[in-house]
Amino acid sequence: MKFKTHISVKNLSVWYGRHQALNNISIDIPDKKITAIIGPSGCGKSTLLKSFNRLVELQDGAKVAGEVLVDGEDIYNPKVEVTHLRKKMGLLSQRPQVLPASIYENVAYGLRIHGIKDKRKLDEVVRHYLKESNLWDEVKDRLHSSASKLSIGQQQRLCLARGLAVEPEVILGDEPTSALDPLSAECIEQRLLELKNQYTIVLVTHILRQARRLADHIIFLYLGNLIEHGPAEEVLKNPRYLKTKSYLEGKFIEEPKIDKELNLRGVIYPDNLIAAKLALGDLQFGQILKIIVDYEQAASELPKAIEHEGHKILEVTKLDKNDGAIIVQKHNGGYVI
Amino acid sequence: MDKRRIEENVFKGLMVFSTFIVASSLVLILITIFIKGFPALNLDMIIKTPKGGYYLGKEGGVLNAILGSLILGTAATFLALLVSLPLVFYLNLYLKKNSRLALSVRFILDVLWGIPSIVYGAFGFTLMVFFGLRASLLAGIITVALLIIPIMARSIDEVLKMIPFELKEASYALGATKLETSIKVIFRQALPGILTAILIAFGRGIGDAASVLFTASFTDSLPYSLFKPVATLPLSIFFQLGTPFPEVQQRGYASALILTVIILFISILSRILSGKFTKHTIK
Repeated sequence: MKFKTHISVKNLSVWYGRHQALNNISIDIPDKKITAIIGPSGCGKSTLLKSFNRLVELQDGAKVAGEVLVDGEDIYNPKVEVTHLRKKMGLLSQRPQVLPASIYENVAYGLRIHGIKDKRKLDEVVRHYLKESNLWDEVKDRLHSSASKLSIGQQQRLCLARGLAVEPEVILGDEPTSALDPLSAECIEQRLLELKNQYTIVLVTHILRQARRLADHIIFLYLGNLIEHGPAEEVLKNPRYLKTKSYLEGKFIEEPKIDKELNLRGVIYPDNLIAAKLALGDLQFGQILKIIVDYEQAASELPKAIEHEGHKILEVTKLDKNDGAIIVQKHNGGYVI
Repeated sequence: MDKRRIEENVFKGLMVFSTFIVASSLVLILITIFIKGFPALNLDMIIKTPKGGYYLGKEGGVLNAILGSLILGTAATFLALLVSLPLVFYLNLYLKKNSRLALSVRFILDVLWGIPSIVYGAFGFTLMVFFGLRASLLAGIITVALLIIPIMARSIDEVLKMIPFELKEASYALGATKLETSIKVIFRQALPGILTAILIAFGRGIGDAASVLFTASFTDSLPYSLFKPVATLPLSIFFQLGTPFPEVQQRGYASALILTVIILFISILSRILSGKFTKHTIK
């Protein structure tokens, strides 16, 4: 699972007023691949996406903690010029939002604000990116008519052209096909597949089939927590954790009922493994143990070792900056000290 | 079942009645002004200044007041716009939606909207005294501008509030600054609404008598200097109707007719103009 990281999220938490939308997310987004963020509605998918170009701070009462490194630079550093950052990130929103101007001006807008004034250059770039997003043939005769008169599918492709025209490195898609008819959606998906060689693409989607079709990499969020992430094939075919499995099978996601809780903060491997095994020994088959450990422990050998003992790991989560939790279901593992 | 039908009919009847009252009073006002004013209206009214003093004058016209009102109204609207536009863009793009400052500014504007114009007149007069100004076109412009700023600002504010957040987001996402977003995106989208707001404010400003009573005063001559008193239509109506002479009173109705026509013309113009600027706006 080696890849070149483009965006690296470290302990990112986002609050809207009192409500915590994201809880200590740490994740790496691979370069020049399609990463899909999946999860039920309201689980923080869009929030995570919009924290990549700092649009999240425009929301009322939004508070962000943690780091997002793009090309190794923390974008929440006050020295970062937010307009430069956003120029790097093209955004496709849920409903295409064209600007109140002509088709031509919609694409040229981004170029103009970033200082390109030469008419011939503008013409050329506008044509190039309208072709790139497969819209040129439909609009070449009416470039100067109003963009809002286009069909919604055409508008989304116009938004794509507009985003690409400022030469971003990343394309962020917030359910970009959810408002479109199937044909336009297909067209956008096709474009994205072709563009992934040149751009890092992050896609929020609630359509699992779309994630299967497009994604190289999957991030599964649930109620603001990162549940599982990894290469698409692994996550979609053999999800490691219970919640991911329930979601992928279209089942109701429920919190596992904890039968016993074990606090192993500050205990290191393999002592914590032994303690966990003893605790599991007291449980009946099928009962569930929650082990609270330092996050580095949860993220490394311990879950694997428990799984090796024959038990079932239901979930590994990050509780806060330092602590993690491992939720284990007792299976047939015999135990040996 | 029957009870619900009666209920429906009673309330529908009430609604029709209210609509009728509003519409008919408007028509009645127009008819009254027209019947009383039209006979006295002649070319002289529009192209001549008053002869024999505005209290008793039965000759000449109200050109001084027409020009005065137009100049004063336009200048005050322009001045108010210069203040309102930055204020409103600051409220809507730079401040968060529920920030305390934004809420209090809106509250203050609402209060200012409700203050009667005579109070603005008195305030304008105090300002004049403070700055050593005499009753003049300039003082009138400033006072009327103060009067219409809350109206204009709150109307434009409501227009900007209606603009979808996603539109701002789309512009920011391309790397635009707030200023660029304001001028190149939001202003364009809001232009028809802004025009309407401007013209509502203009209509209010040009029709107000109390605020100019002390500040712009009155004169028989055409407006020629910022620092000299200026005549306005509402005041000339006020003075003409206040005389004991039926002929002069009739001239007052004619002046009212002229003022009404100006405002009507502006309303129609605003409809046409805002239609013109909706070409690119997003529905």
